[in-house]
This record gives sequence, structure tokens and C-alpha cells, in this order.
Amino acid sequence: MIFFPQFTRVRACGVLLMAGLVGLVGLGLCSVGAQTPAIQSVPSGLTRPVGSRFVVVLDAAHGGDDGGGQMGGSVAEKTVTLGLSVRLRSLLNARGFSVVTTREGNVNLDSDARAQIANHATFGAGAGACVSLHASQAGTGVHIFVSSLAPTQQGRFLAWKTAQSAYVARSLKLAGTINSAFEHSSAGGDGGDANAGPIPATLGRASLPGVDSMTCPAVAIEVAPLRGADRKVTTEVTDAQYQTQVVEALAAAMLEWKTDSETESHTGARLP
Amino acid sequence: MIPRYQKVVFVVLLVVSIAMAVILVRLRERAHDRLLKGEDLAPTVAPAVAPEVQATLMVANDTDGTLLSEAHSLPLPKDAEARARALLEKLLEIYAGAGAMHAVPGTPRAVLQVFLLPEPGNAEGKGRTGGQAGGQLAVVNLAGAFADGHPAGILTESLTVESICGTLHANLPQVAEVRFLVDGQARATLAGHADLTRTYLTEEIADAATGLPAAP
Repeated sequence: MIFFPQFTRVRACGVLLMAGLVGLVGLGLCSVGAQTPAIQSVPSGLTRPVGSRFVVVLDAAHGGDDGGGQMGGSVAEKTVTLGLSVRLRSLLNARGFSVVTTREGNVNLDSDARAQIANHATFGAGAGACVSLHASQAGTGVHIFVSSLAPTQQGRFLAWKTAQSAYVARSLKLAGTINSAFEHSSAGGDGGDANAGPIPATLGRASLPGVDSMTCPAVAIEVAPLRGADRKVTTEVTDAQYQTQVVEALAAAMLEWKTDSETESHTGARLP
Repeated sequence: MIPRYQKVVFVVLLVVSIAMAVILVRLRERAHDRLLKGEDLAPTVAPAVAPEVQATLMVANDTDGTLLSEAHSLPLPKDAEARARALLEKLLEIYAGAGAMHAVPGTPRAVLQVFLLPEPGNAEGKGRTGGQAGGQLAVVNLAGAFADGHPAGILTESLTVESICGTLHANLPQVAEVRFLVDGQARATLAGHADLTRTYLTEEIADAATGLPAAP
């Protein structure tokens, strides 16, 4: 056997270099993980439900430094949306849904991170719905928004900023189901005015950075105050009973959407 | 010995000289003030002497989330960019008025500039929209004070953006695309919701103004 001392030295240097590179990559990964506290602070958001076929993603808009708009007196939009998300999650859990929330507390979360959580959660599921919750002082009732992207066919790869375009047709169907649920809702509630009528709902299209990147049937729900004929506010967004009526209508819509999806899958219709 | 009449003439000439100097200084000050006043007023408003023309404003309504076409007779400048700015100023003036269906607090000079540029990719006569030849991109530079004071919400912000795009398209049909700047800089959203980083296609907005496609 021939011994090459020079070759051994070169090989030793190579091994040391590789070890150094592996160490650097490891350090880099650790630092990236440390720079994404928003995702780390939402443990439930990243746990993919195992074996469930229908997942609802609830995205309470704003949070952390981003307070959103001001509701009524001094309540921030981020507080109202989180309250709606928690109430809706409880209702849906009680009805046997798998629910993933993008945030459970007052944390900073950008639109990309929200879409990332929604896409991870719905990736393994057979069907689902993504609902972004907002609140506003403008307008009246509930505003239901679908992405304004033009519908496209689902390809192998989707551009991040326009990924929703492949799901717009399903999102429009979901918006129709939610609109129908609000038409059958009652703004008066159990203890309220029996003649109050349904919560008024408006359908619209909008360009929303988070929703536009979601790869699931997605809608943005904006809850506004109820107004009388003279356009004066009769029920504030912060009203607990009003919020209950809104989340009950949304829960009913999710139940209807789930039933429709299951019927479609049984009849062999293609799901997104 | 100086004669008496010479003394009188000297005093009279001295008084006249001093009076003329005082008048000259006052006249100079007045001219300076007039110039400064003229500078303040010059470029901000459309000249009232311009002939009134029929213009269409796409006015937003928060109650049902729609855009309503309203005809107005306005004195508008001939220059397309100045005309676009005057139209948008009028639109935002309506929103700032009492009892507006789409209430947005008023700001002096809410629209700083409107630039009309050839539509990107229009070298072969057709733009990205595939629309008419000679299509233009309108860049609307909004004042930071206007964006900061705008009410937050998907509906209200989207309606403001869409009504601006709709008004530009209704009066300047060659405007196929609209982009927004705030104080000359790119900004992510108007007030936390409506995306200001994208290019808005005016034809899509005009189609959407007729109503959302019915859910299947």
C-alpha cells in the first residue's frame, strides 16, 4: 500500500472545511428560527391535523404593533378580530371541526406568515375554508370579500402573491354560502328584537395581501356596526350579542360548506 | 447771508424727498407681498375662468359598497395631468363634505400629483391589459396626511381606491392602469387594508362596478 502524506493533509483540511460549513449552516438555521417569533408563538397554527378531511383556518387580522382601525370608543380592531376568532373557534370545535388559528394572542404577524400557516394547515386536508376576520366602523352589517384576482387553472406551481387565483371560483362559492347564512340570521338574537331581521351582508372583491397568497377557498369577513334608516349606528361592533350573532351565522355557513364539500367529494367532483 | 426764499425752497425740497423715499419703500413692500400671495395661489386650483365641461365622477357609497356615476359640470384645465388631478380633488372634496355616503376626512391638497405615462409593455400598441392602443398608466401621488387620516377598513379603503381608478377611466379612457404613491414613496396599504403595491386595471374595476358575479 502506498502512503501519500500530502493527500492525507488535504483530506483532513477538506473534512475540517465541511465540518465548518455544516456548523455555519446550523447556526444560520438557528438564527432564522429565532427571527420568526410570530410563527413560533402560534403553536396551534402549525400543528397539521392528522386524518381530518375538513379544516377551517381562522385568521384574526392585525395584532401586536398593528392595531388596525379604532372601533367605537377606544377598542382596537385587533382586539375585536381576536375576540371573534376565539368565539368562532369554540363554536366550530363544539361542532366537531378541525380549526387552526393564525394567532391566539396579541402577536405581530405579517401577511406572508398568515398565508403560510393557512397553506400548511390546509395542505393535507381534503377540503377546507380560510376565513380572515376584520372589523370596521365604515358601512353597515357584514362585508364579505373575495380576492379580486382573475380565476386561473391550478398548475403545478403557483406564484406566491397570486396563489389564490387558482381558488377564486371556490372562494366565490364559499362567499355565496356565507352570504346565504347571513340572510337567514337574526340581528335581534334570542333576547333581542324579534323583528330586527337578518344581519345585512354585502359581497365584494378586494386585493388583500394575505388572502391573495392562500391556497384554499378564502374569504375576508369585515364586521361593521348595524345602522338605522338614518345611517346612525344602532349596534356597535363591540356589542357582545351582535358578535355572537355574527359567529353563529359563520358557524352555520361552515357547516353548510362542509356538507356541500362532502357531497361533492362523494359524487366525485374535483375539490381544490 | 442766504436769502429767505432759498431757505424755504430747500426745506420744501427736503420734505418732498423724504416723503418720496417713504412712499417708495411702502410700494416695494406691497409689491413683495403681492408676489408672495400670487405664488401661494397659483398651481393649486383649476382656474375659475376655464370653460366648464361635463365630467363623470364615480362616487362611492359605503352603505351598499357600490360606485355611483355622477355627472358634474366643472371648470377643468386642458392639460390631461392637471385635469386628472382637478377631478380627483373634486371627488375627495365630495367625500369630505357633510353627509357624504363615503366619509373621508378632508385634507388640503390630498392629491399631490397625477402623472400619465405610456402603459408598460405598450411598445406594440397594446398594453398588459390587451386594451386599446396608446393606453396610459396613471401614477397618483397622494398626500401622506390624506392616507394617515383615512378611515381603516377593507370596504372603505377599497372604495376610495376603486372610485379614484373609476373616475380616471371615466374621464380619461386612455388610462388603463393606475398605481399609487404616498408622498412620492411606495406604501403597502392605504390605511392597513387596501393593497397599494399592485397595479389596478381600470377595466376590471369598471366591470366590478356593475356588481360581483353571482356565486354559483
